[in-house]
Amino acid sequence: MEAKVLDSWVLAEFATPEALVSATQQMREKGFQGMDTYSPYPLHGGSEALGLPPSRVPFIALGGGLTGMVTALTMQTWMNTIDYPLNVGGRPLLSLPAWVPITFELSVLFAAFGIFFGLLGLSKLPQPYHPAFESEEFRSASTHGYWLSIPHPTGTDAADVKNQLTALGATHVTVVSGENE
Amino acid sequence: MAETAHALPLDPLEPRDLVAPHHDDKSLNETLLDHVWRKPGKGWFMLLGITSAALGLLVVGVTYTLARGIGVWGNNQPVGWAFDIINFVWWVGIGHAGTLISAILLLFQQKWRTSINRFAEAMTLFAVMCAGLFPLLHTGRPWFAFWLFPYPSTLGAWAQFRSPLVWDVFAISTYLTVSALFWFVGLIPDLAALRDSSKTKLQRTIYGLFALGWRGSGRHWHNYKIAYLLLAGLSTPLVVSVHTIVSFDFAVSQIPGWHATIFPPYFVAGAVFSGFAMVITLIVPARKYLGLRDVITDRHLENMNKVILATGLLVSYGYLMEHFIAWYSMNQYEFWTFYVNRATGPYAGVYWLMIACNVITPNIFWFKKARTSIPIMWVASIAVNIGMWCERFIIIVTSLSQDFLPSSWDIYTPTWVDWCIYIGTLGLFGTLFLLFLKFVPAVAVSEVKELQLELKHAAHAAHGNGHHGSDAAATHGAH
Repeated sequence: MEAKVLDSWVLAEFATPEALVSATQQMREKGFQGMDTYSPYPLHGGSEALGLPPSRVPFIALGGGLTGMVTALTMQTWMNTIDYPLNVGGRPLLSLPAWVPITFELSVLFAAFGIFFGLLGLSKLPQPYHPAFESEEFRSASTHGYWLSIPHPTGTDAADVKNQLTALGATHVTVVSGENE
Repeated sequence: MAETAHALPLDPLEPRDLVAPHHDDKSLNETLLDHVWRKPGKGWFMLLGITSAALGLLVVGVTYTLARGIGVWGNNQPVGWAFDIINFVWWVGIGHAGTLISAILLLFQQKWRTSINRFAEAMTLFAVMCAGLFPLLHTGRPWFAFWLFPYPSTLGAWAQFRSPLVWDVFAISTYLTVSALFWFVGLIPDLAALRDSSKTKLQRTIYGLFALGWRGSGRHWHNYKIAYLLLAGLSTPLVVSVHTIVSFDFAVSQIPGWHATIFPPYFVAGAVFSGFAMVITLIVPARKYLGLRDVITDRHLENMNKVILATGLLVSYGYLMEHFIAWYSMNQYEFWTFYVNRATGPYAGVYWLMIACNVITPNIFWFKKARTSIPIMWVASIAVNIGMWCERFIIIVTSLSQDFLPSSWDIYTPTWVDWCIYIGTLGLFGTLFLLFLKFVPAVAVSEVKELQLELKHAAHAAHGNGHHGSDAAATHGAH
């Protein structure tokens, strides 16, 4: 059988969002890398505890909006002024005020696409399978559970990490393995 | 219930509960997702039967129209626009409350929006779908609808971008797309919750497919929060722009009664007015059926009634200004339209119904008793929906049937096909809505959980030793 690169994670459940955030903070201060939290709604202070840099979604949105704006302006100008000049009641061929509504709409549309696909892209979604789902208890992360994951080298003993998490108040600790992300 | 002990409100100005106090994450989850797992009751099937029957009328009306052409409608010369545009504007207007509730109230951090936004956004989507049908059919040959978009055709002709009708195409398609994205992004965490509380493999697979593998990761939430906020930020000007552009369809023309600068704000206010009324009409029975009284509380209903009152007054002001300008401009056609044709002409009955429903009815919401009485608000909300439909009828039909030259005047009467299609879209809307109530959480579960946590913290702060400031202390004192 072909050997697959396997990765393991220690998963720990906490009773409250506050306990999860403070445990994340403390584990990160101890030097653990690549951690992630899982919760049914965004944790207050969760991003800070994980030490995440500012999200890039706004830049993608801005890019989308500007693309929409430029697209709309060039499209209308080229179509109605250059390629197919249409004289309607003697109005100027380049009637910029009349371009405004469509320019606005396309800016919004492209910005919204930027946000949506930017969110999916940055989150690497859709991703129907993730090793974390190997643990049936972990499914509570979307309903009422607060989980922390810490990457762990496969095959080595996770007891130390587990003990540290239990000391920080984890109510349930388990190890899952799966293909490398 | 020991409510007084831990149900302290977030804000001293908001004295009533947003979430009934006896819930935690797990019980919220069960309460809010229950209606998806529960086998639908007889009532649901009965309603579905009624709406599907109405949907059948739509099929009949559309088939007949496509087979015979739009000559089977009541439209004539000079009333070339009638039911098709009336219903289009009416449906789009209804849709707007959804975006308003979701987006504008989110930006203003109105916590009470959380329980009703999903519901309202669904309403937006389905209403805009119904709206889109009308202009599509009015083209006569909807299979050529792509002609509306600028595409490289063999004729070498392009769309005419100075026309409000082309603006409309872009506005409505953008609105539908952005509303759908906003709705779906809001749904993702709840779809994951559904996936993870599924009871069968099939349910888990289907909801899992739509949940895109969401697992509540902190790294994802980090992007999600800002993405959701930005979509709300975009939707806010979008909703204003859409109804502004819809009003341009009229205001940019020269027909008396249409050519008015007040149209954009007056249309937007009217849209919000009718939209909120539609939310009340739908949410009052739905929250009972779905058992959502704990999260869609009386306070939500009262707040919505206040919005109806405020926007109703704005609409009344719009009517007043139209009439004032018609007199002040001393334009004989405008004067005729507003003071003679609309008020005493062949459609005077519709006009006075509109005044009764839109100007008089909302004023009952000055009284707290009316704002908090379920039967009164439900009847009033239906009256407002009728009134707003009459408004579009009056604007469109009276102005067209009697414009400048008396020799070209004519009366418009809708045919049975018109009614079939209109009632049919009500059926389409109702069917989609019932399916939504069955298969998707009607309340944004993850947001309610977050809200509940915030409320708990606020209550905790108020109970603490007072170091959280005078607001919290004042709240505590008030109780």
